[in-house]
Amino acid sequence: MSSFVIEAAGLSRSFGSTRALAGVDLSVRTGESLAIMGASGSGKTTLLHCLAGITRPDAGTVGFVSGAGRVEVTGLGERERSRLRREAFGFVFQQGLLIPELTAVENVALALMLNGMPRARAEEHGRGWLAALGLAGMEDRRIGQLSGGQAQRVAIARAQVTGASVVFADEPTGALDSATSADVMRALLDSTTGQGRTLILVTHDAEVAGRCSRIVDMRDGRIVGERVSA
Amino acid sequence: MIARVAWLLARPGTAGAAASALPVTAFGIVTALLLTVIGGAQAFWTWTDDEGVLYQALAVIALVLLVVPLVSLGGAAARLSARRRDDRLATLRLLGATPAAVSALAVIESAVLAAVGAVAGVVVYLAVVPLLGLIEFRGEPLSASGVLLPWPVLVAVPFGIAALAALSAVLGLRQVVISPLGVRTRQEAPRLHWVRVVIGVGVVALAFGLMAVLRVAPTTMVILGMLAVAFGASLAVLNLIGPWVIRLVARGQASRAKTPARLLAARTVLESPKGAWRQVGGVAMTSFMAVFAGTGVAVLGVMGAEGDAESQLLVTDIRTGILITVVGSFLMVACSVGVNQAAGILDRGELYRSLDMLGMPVATMDAARRRAVMSPLRITAIGSAVTAAIVMLPLTGITLIVAPESLLVIAGVLAAGIGIVWLGLLATRPVLERAASA
Repeated sequence: MSSFVIEAAGLSRSFGSTRALAGVDLSVRTGESLAIMGASGSGKTTLLHCLAGITRPDAGTVGFVSGAGRVEVTGLGERERSRLRREAFGFVFQQGLLIPELTAVENVALALMLNGMPRARAEEHGRGWLAALGLAGMEDRRIGQLSGGQAQRVAIARAQVTGASVVFADEPTGALDSATSADVMRALLDSTTGQGRTLILVTHDAEVAGRCSRIVDMRDGRIVGERVSA
Repeated sequence: MIARVAWLLARPGTAGAAASALPVTAFGIVTALLLTVIGGAQAFWTWTDDEGVLYQALAVIALVLLVVPLVSLGGAAARLSARRRDDRLATLRLLGATPAAVSALAVIESAVLAAVGAVAGVVVYLAVVPLLGLIEFRGEPLSASGVLLPWPVLVAVPFGIAALAALSAVLGLRQVVISPLGVRTRQEAPRLHWVRVVIGVGVVALAFGLMAVLRVAPTTMVILGMLAVAFGASLAVLNLIGPWVIRLVARGQASRAKTPARLLAARTVLESPKGAWRQVGGVAMTSFMAVFAGTGVAVLGVMGAEGDAESQLLVTDIRTGILITVVGSFLMVACSVGVNQAAGILDRGELYRSLDMLGMPVATMDAARRRAVMSPLRITAIGSAVTAAIVMLPLTGITLIVAPESLLVIAGVLAAGIGIVWLGLLATRPVLERAASA
């Protein structure tokens, strides 16, 4: 049985009088794909942000286990969490949120340059990832010159290029049509779990969730169900 | 229907009240500065003696120096007001709103924000009038009544500012009307034609020629008129060449950039060379003024040493005029940088937030933002100073320009101008920090 890469216990988080998380326990195994489902306001994005060290929970702990040992994410300061996200995690957002002024390859290479890699090498790696995701020949296009699906593939390349062991995706296909959505999900799964990495995604699309190995359902800040995909 | 949608769009969105407050503030400052400049100049027109004519001519030069960048800043404020709603108007267009409806919404919103700001500007001007009246020329204060503009002007200016904003909104939103998707996705990198440089060089050469034949002009009024034309045209032409040069330099920087901050900064400038120019365009005027004032002080030094009491008074007054003009230009620069930076951060709030999630340090985002302003600023400051030096050369001779006193004033004014932009950037860092962690 594979080991856990993320272990969360007793997570609670409130925004003013709204309780977004109410004591969530969740463990994620290395190499699995986990879909977090739920209606709007169920707390799924807040949970994702807590697991990724973007938001610090009011109570509870999040541990990240890698080859270097276990890191208590919730015990890290702002700067250390930022470094952890940069070096160990990858992110794919609903709108891609790529930098519109940069070309596709520059957007991907930027993730490596932030970790200190020289630009030429970073762009070389970036081109490799874009080609692997079916975007060969589009490296020098600006983001506005790409379709929604192509832009999401650039976002996937950006999330993967650093060798992130866990990729967090927030509604990665939310702005795409069903055919493009299926393509993007395939690319996302091939580049993560297909290579032994872990994918944690938030979605309200049952079809997208069904492609993940495990699904947890959330309601009112709690996990109310868990299923293993066929 | 249009009025109803305009009202809905006027309500604070995700950017909060700042979306409306920024353009209103910008228009307020523009109006207050415009009225102050015109009010000060008006006082000179109450003099009817021979020397009064000389003061009026000098005031014309100061007005040209201040009004050109002031109008440019006013235009920037108008575009800012329009840009605040670009996305939502583009969305309306995508939803099927007609081009006429989108234009009407843009005009209504920009005009209303401009009018509110302009009225506030009138109030600020009225508050400043007593202080303005204390400034001494020809040995006595100008007096509050001397610098107070008649009420029809005070009423007309807000209308004029609102009309300028409406016109700017229509021009700025043409792209939304033509291609709504183009604005939403920022498809096209802007292009600037090299013809700008040819026109620019031609105008500078013309200004140089005017300065060269200045000594043979028949009357003082003709001389001063030629001076005003040469300075005004040179300043205006800086607006034409500036964006082109900024783009050229940024292209080189983008291909050579080795760090994320440098790459982001160069690409940000390339995204909108005109926008980069508008942010620091006020410094073009300050730089231009620096050379003008520096040379002027050197000339006055020579005159003051030789002249009688009346000449000494004239020298003192011209020094005062130069100082007021430079201070006015600094205020415009401060306004331009502060408002543009805060607006830029608010516009890109979602992107800054996502970069923070990816683990990009805020220091890197800030460094990119600072570099995207400071690099065009350096080009602008040096380019404008060189242009002014070329135009002034026939008038004063190279000896005066390189005189130590002249150089000191030039360096001092440039340092102050760059320093105030730096302060404007520093002042908006908390806005960036809030946007990144929102």
